[in-house]
Amino acid sequence: MVIEQYTITEKYNFPQPTIDTTLPQRFLEQSLYSLKQAQHQPFQLNPQTFQQLNTTEQYPSSIQLKPEPIPIKPDHQETLIAAVDTSTIKIGETATGMIIAVRGATTWKQNRAYKYTRLGPFIFHITEENKNAVYNTLEHAYFSTSYGASHQAAPNIMQMPTRLASLLERWLQTMLAKTVNHGIILFDGSLISGTIDTPVQRLREILSYARRNNSTVLAFSKATTLRANGILITEQLPNHDPPYLLETTGIHFKSPIVLLGDVYVARLNKANLAFRLDIDKETPVEQRMAAIQKLIGNDLYTQSYPETLRLSHILCTFTANEVLAIKHFITRKHGIQIINRPDMHKLLFGPFSKGEIYA
Amino acid sequence: MKLYKKEGNILQIISFPAESAEKGDYLLVEDQDAAKALIAQVIDVQFAAVPGVLEELLRTLPDGGEPLQGEDIDPMEIAPHITYIQDASLLICKIRATLENEMLSPSSSWLPSRSQSTIKKLSIPMLMKLAKIDGKLPIILGGTKDSSLLTIDASAIDGTLNIITGKKGCGKSHLSKLLMVNLVGYRATVVIFDLNGEYTSLGMSNDGKRNMYYDKIHTLTPGQNFKVALEQLHLNTVMGILVNALHLPGTSAREFRRIWKMLKEKGKLNMQELGEAIRDLNCNQHVRDALASRFHSLANSGFFTDCPGEATLLDESILKAKDQGGAIVINLKNTSNIDRQIVVEYALGKLVDSLSNWKLKAIFLFAEEAHLYLRETYWDDIVTRMRHFGIFTTFITNQPDTIQETIYRQADNIFLFNFTNEHDLDVVSRAARVDAETVRSIARDLPPHHCLTLGKVVGDFPIVARVRALDIKTMGETRLFFKDMN
Repeated sequence: MVIEQYTITEKYNFPQPTIDTTLPQRFLEQSLYSLKQAQHQPFQLNPQTFQQLNTTEQYPSSIQLKPEPIPIKPDHQETLIAAVDTSTIKIGETATGMIIAVRGATTWKQNRAYKYTRLGPFIFHITEENKNAVYNTLEHAYFSTSYGASHQAAPNIMQMPTRLASLLERWLQTMLAKTVNHGIILFDGSLISGTIDTPVQRLREILSYARRNNSTVLAFSKATTLRANGILITEQLPNHDPPYLLETTGIHFKSPIVLLGDVYVARLNKANLAFRLDIDKETPVEQRMAAIQKLIGNDLYTQSYPETLRLSHILCTFTANEVLAIKHFITRKHGIQIINRPDMHKLLFGPFSKGEIYA
Repeated sequence: MKLYKKEGNILQIISFPAESAEKGDYLLVEDQDAAKALIAQVIDVQFAAVPGVLEELLRTLPDGGEPLQGEDIDPMEIAPHITYIQDASLLICKIRATLENEMLSPSSSWLPSRSQSTIKKLSIPMLMKLAKIDGKLPIILGGTKDSSLLTIDASAIDGTLNIITGKKGCGKSHLSKLLMVNLVGYRATVVIFDLNGEYTSLGMSNDGKRNMYYDKIHTLTPGQNFKVALEQLHLNTVMGILVNALHLPGTSAREFRRIWKMLKEKGKLNMQELGEAIRDLNCNQHVRDALASRFHSLANSGFFTDCPGEATLLDESILKAKDQGGAIVINLKNTSNIDRQIVVEYALGKLVDSLSNWKLKAIFLFAEEAHLYLRETYWDDIVTRMRHFGIFTTFITNQPDTIQETIYRQADNIFLFNFTNEHDLDVVSRAARVDAETVRSIARDLPPHHCLTLGKVVGDFPIVARVRALDIKTMGETRLFFKDMN
């Protein structure tokens, strides 16, 4: 009955009215269902942000970085730039699990103005008992095709926040890929697939939707561990005026990891920063270059990083104020009481305690 | 509301949007286990330092300051909770008293429980009841924010030194009229030094008809219906005028005293004879010149007459006001600076005379912009010596720095209207019965006609009230050039 009070608002038709809203609907249902289980449980506030890192990135030793940069000339032809990012945070702990929040944001620049749509936050009470049910229900909600049941089996409870965020992110990416025509879609991270939360087929499908709509997917990684000759690829910048790309070769991952993109190093302005850039392998080279030229001709990139993607990240990130608001929400709406358990590290080690992370 | 911090006698209280509290409001912080409560007044309202608010605001401004446009799909409806947290305010409150066993004490030395204390608004009537601000001679000053009346007792003004101050046009004269007519209503004798002729119509209502005070208002305009004959004056009064108002040097004053005695013995104490006596005086040229110039000042003032029938003695008006109460309005409008000082010197001298002879029990003196006619040495005289004779003064000014600091220190009641100038607020905050933070914070935001009442009349609980309207003909309006053109 409670669930019926919450429905995805009908105006959510980003950007086409034909979008399937099953996933956000299931997110909401699972969220409320899980919170109902936590009702009247004492709850320890312990906000902790999770970084969605590419933990599966392996380090092929055969990587080569072409020394000759590919110069880029900005193309100011009006082009839609869209980006997606998601964020997750652990709000606190209950006796049986933890309370987390997930949120996603899409931003786009059109007619010289940035606009956004934020989805969430969705708040979940994740326990050992409900983690499979919650995750699998969401997996099957939108991605009705199961890409190998083994991927969804028994995620570690500590991985649940990033798994749920990843699920939402892939859904938002799919929505953009399906709806943006002749545009540039920016992803946060790489185009690596075959990982526990990104089956190859799923990412392949997203990229193919984008190609079908004549859009190009550019995936920017804020950090990379890829090294050529033992040095990070983003730290081997030639003495050349930006903007430019550096091409890499020889990146091969062991199965089941599949890289669906070609990897470049992008230095977009004079700021001495460069980022790993993955571009869909199946996109013709001319289209790739045209896309990157349109990106720098249409978007801002003050830190050598596209503003649209930066905004997506900023908009989905949880602020301390929002954590307090979520705490207020779960206390008021779901009767979950905050308790202050003693911090064992502080209790035992006093000023020498550096918190759980360093334990 | 939640108790957040206590530093000295300042409390910091977190208040959420639904719990509206404004500057000037009183809060009761009750600790049931301790069986005590703190009475605190909100002196400032700030945003609570909620973590993450800056990030929240910054991320809506991506570039060039243009707000980012977008849509938030928030199916769980968290946004109202975010707003609720974001809009939390921090109330800076001054502890005014501790309530224990229904008794108030000025202590703030104990610490109420942060987690268990309950905080609620304290209405002004309840505060007045707790502070036992009542009496048999109520004066309704006006209405408070919670729609109750702020009533003070006339006896709390008795024997006190009061200051009414605020910037131009905020209602100072209106309040002083309100106090005056109420005091007159309680049969008090009130004397007003009316600089702008504003109080001359106290006996008329707005529609120009006579009101209930008509017969009790005695307006004396120097040179018109207020003149004195020398023979009716005491030498000390005249010497006061010459020395204090006209700055006659000592040697010349001695000479004048001799002339006065000589004329009195001859029964020729009038202006004409005095003038001739000075002219014929056989003495040092400088002394004669000094006396001659003072004589001309007296003669030119038009305040002195040789015709006893023309003379109106202040004593007569005082006698009229003595039994049934009344206000003697000394209209100083259109009077030159020197003449004003002559008249004031005479009036104060006569009042002290009447009071020291017990012809009068006490009087309430209202002095508007007193620095324009009161000599330097009179300030201390008024608050110390004259108070013992029974002159209880209320100073009314829009230039608080013209009143000496010693006056502020000894003021029993201050009726403070809006001031925005820091310097003015600093001056007023020197008053002994008030803390600087309260004055600076509350007075700055007072709307017109709202008055912060401080001191004995409100049991030292500063209270803001909108001064009530009076059905008295307004005379204090500024003459405007463009008034009829609109």
